[in-house]
Amino acid sequence: MAHEATLQHAREVGGSGQLSPSVEKPLLNVQGLSIRFDGTPKDINLVDDVSFSVGKGKTLCLVGESGCGKSVTALALMGLLPTPPARIVSGTAEFEGQDLLQLGERERADLRGDRMAMIFQEPMTSLNPAFTIGDQIAEGIVRHRKVSKAEAMERALEMLRKVRIPAPEKRLRAYPHEMSGGMRQRVMIAMALANDPQLLIADEPTTALDVTIQAQILTLVKRLQEETGTAMIMITHDLGVVAEVADEVAVMYAGRVVETGPVEAIFEDPQHPYTIGLMGSVPSLGRREGRLATIRGTVPPVELMPKGCRFTPRCPFSDAKCANEPPPLGEIRPGHRARCWYAPLEEKRGAAA
Amino acid sequence: MSANTPSNDTILEGVGLVKHFGGGGLLSSSTVVRAVDGVSLAVQSGETFAIVGESGCGKSTLGRLLLRLIEPTDGDVLYKGRSILGLNQRELRQLRRELQIIFQDPFASLNPRMSVGDIVAEPIWLHGLAKGSEKRERVTELLRTVGLLPAHADRYPHEFSGGQRQRIGIARALAGDPKLIIGDEPVSALDVSIQAQIINLLEDLKDRFGLTLVIVAHDLAVIRHMSDRVAVMYLGEIVELSETDALFDNPLHPYTQALLAAIPVPSPARRQPKALLQGDIPSPAAPPSGCRFHTRCPHARPVCRDQHPALETTPDGRKVACHFWREIQGAGAGSITAPPPSPALSKRLALYRTWRERQDTAVAPSP
Repeated sequence: MAHEATLQHAREVGGSGQLSPSVEKPLLNVQGLSIRFDGTPKDINLVDDVSFSVGKGKTLCLVGESGCGKSVTALALMGLLPTPPARIVSGTAEFEGQDLLQLGERERADLRGDRMAMIFQEPMTSLNPAFTIGDQIAEGIVRHRKVSKAEAMERALEMLRKVRIPAPEKRLRAYPHEMSGGMRQRVMIAMALANDPQLLIADEPTTALDVTIQAQILTLVKRLQEETGTAMIMITHDLGVVAEVADEVAVMYAGRVVETGPVEAIFEDPQHPYTIGLMGSVPSLGRREGRLATIRGTVPPVELMPKGCRFTPRCPFSDAKCANEPPPLGEIRPGHRARCWYAPLEEKRGAAA
Repeated sequence: MSANTPSNDTILEGVGLVKHFGGGGLLSSSTVVRAVDGVSLAVQSGETFAIVGESGCGKSTLGRLLLRLIEPTDGDVLYKGRSILGLNQRELRQLRRELQIIFQDPFASLNPRMSVGDIVAEPIWLHGLAKGSEKRERVTELLRTVGLLPAHADRYPHEFSGGQRQRIGIARALAGDPKLIIGDEPVSALDVSIQAQIINLLEDLKDRFGLTLVIVAHDLAVIRHMSDRVAVMYLGEIVELSETDALFDNPLHPYTQALLAAIPVPSPARRQPKALLQGDIPSPAAPPSGCRFHTRCPHARPVCRDQHPALETTPDGRKVACHFWREIQGAGAGSITAPPPSPALSKRLALYRTWRERQDTAVAPSP
């Protein structure tokens, strides 16, 4: 509670200097983040000029296919990216008034699990098989709060109740292998939220789960978010999940954000050819309407990445300009941006035969 | 099964199939996992038949039983009306030519020490279909068929991406001129854009070679898109079997309803609170008594705990295993009303397709 009050204050102070005081200052503001890996060609950043922001209590979905840099971006924000081989080339990530990327290792550790927390795809590999659930949740509480072990265990029990685990007293003393995948993911969520973080980063939290269990976890996360006001960055490749949980969406392709905007705009009015191709690739749940539209080929390897727009070789609309000049993330409508020379397509690519 | 489609001929049939794991010898554990427990189904020639369910429901085991890759504990498998359980080695080998399988993980199912050419050529050699230059030509043709280049024959599996590896697996499955292919989660390990390519490829091949497809999967959208009929499995049993559109428009079994309701609908405008299934799937080593779904079923009554519901045929030829399906089907739960794409999206998708086709005709064709 005390934290929230301070934050409120900080935001008011920070917000007063803004150009448009009506727009709330985002909780996390990432600008121009570029990450390079040792051993890859010098001039190519694996994550390149990535910008997005998350408002307090809001959900941003980072969408993209394997290797698009969405997880690397998240790990960089959490300070979990090993250097070497990863090197942050440029960019800022302002969180509660400080630049995450400038913080020392000690300060990062103080933030992790406290003001910001992360949950991962496979809950079994992120839980320690040798300790009980209760011990593992309490560990994070003792690390960040001045409390006794007993008080931390009490809090752990409260968290297990919060994530609706049946018979929480018993589960406190259970080991991870005694639980199902869905229950383990609930434990991960309990652990992440134990210190009331302002920001939760969830990396494909439901990908390993069955569809009925996935629905349970998504509903739980949404309910907890309403209760606690935690903001969330959800990383996923599943457009259905995006439509269910997101407020804002950033679509990533080969290390760049190619389109970003409110979730309605992305689904109702997609602008970037990659976003459109992705929507066409997903089979509809309604009656069958012919073949799927596909995106040709695959993501090129790093050394063959085009100088300009990285989607060029797979894009039906691309030309020489696309291959050589990287397009800016241009604004189509307020808040809705697309990184394409030819957006909106029907104007610039519609009539041509 | 053939009640609603009497004219079609059955190509592959499972009769009362049972597969129990464990409980056997001196050293094995005494718990018996009832992976498949009394499943009967008939696949019609030329259709795409889907088997759907969550992890541990026995769908993959059923797929393997249908090919006799594992021996059933009880029951029989008929291929073109003839039991395949009594076949000898030579006959079984002939059968393997006609029944093929594609696996989920395309990397684990390809031998890393063999070149792609050898992987695809192996069934040709094994069945003595061609030799020497003729064999090489056949391999080249197969690689082209699945959208790979003939030059890829000299490379090794690790040099390929997941989607390309799945294409290699498909080329190999096609090498023996099969009549039926079982795909065990053939696209679930792939990225969305690659998944769409493989789905289109499988459909093209099915048309071109007159194949019968059996798709084992958990992704209901993929199943709706690809299949003609669907069998829904829960804890080793079929709980509902129906034509695809009928199943999605009006699911009868409460488990099917719950499964459909749980799918995230890709339209932010359609967000709504869902009726969720509570709890986890019980262990197949100790399935609940009576109806196996009664522990999670919102409509369960005392009789469900005691009496096992039979898979009964409804007046319109569907099959459902529920005591109360008549009352439940009106409950309105489940059926998916997929929102049509927005006008802007439809317009741009049409534009995308037009340009995509133009691109394909300009450059070398790529599926």
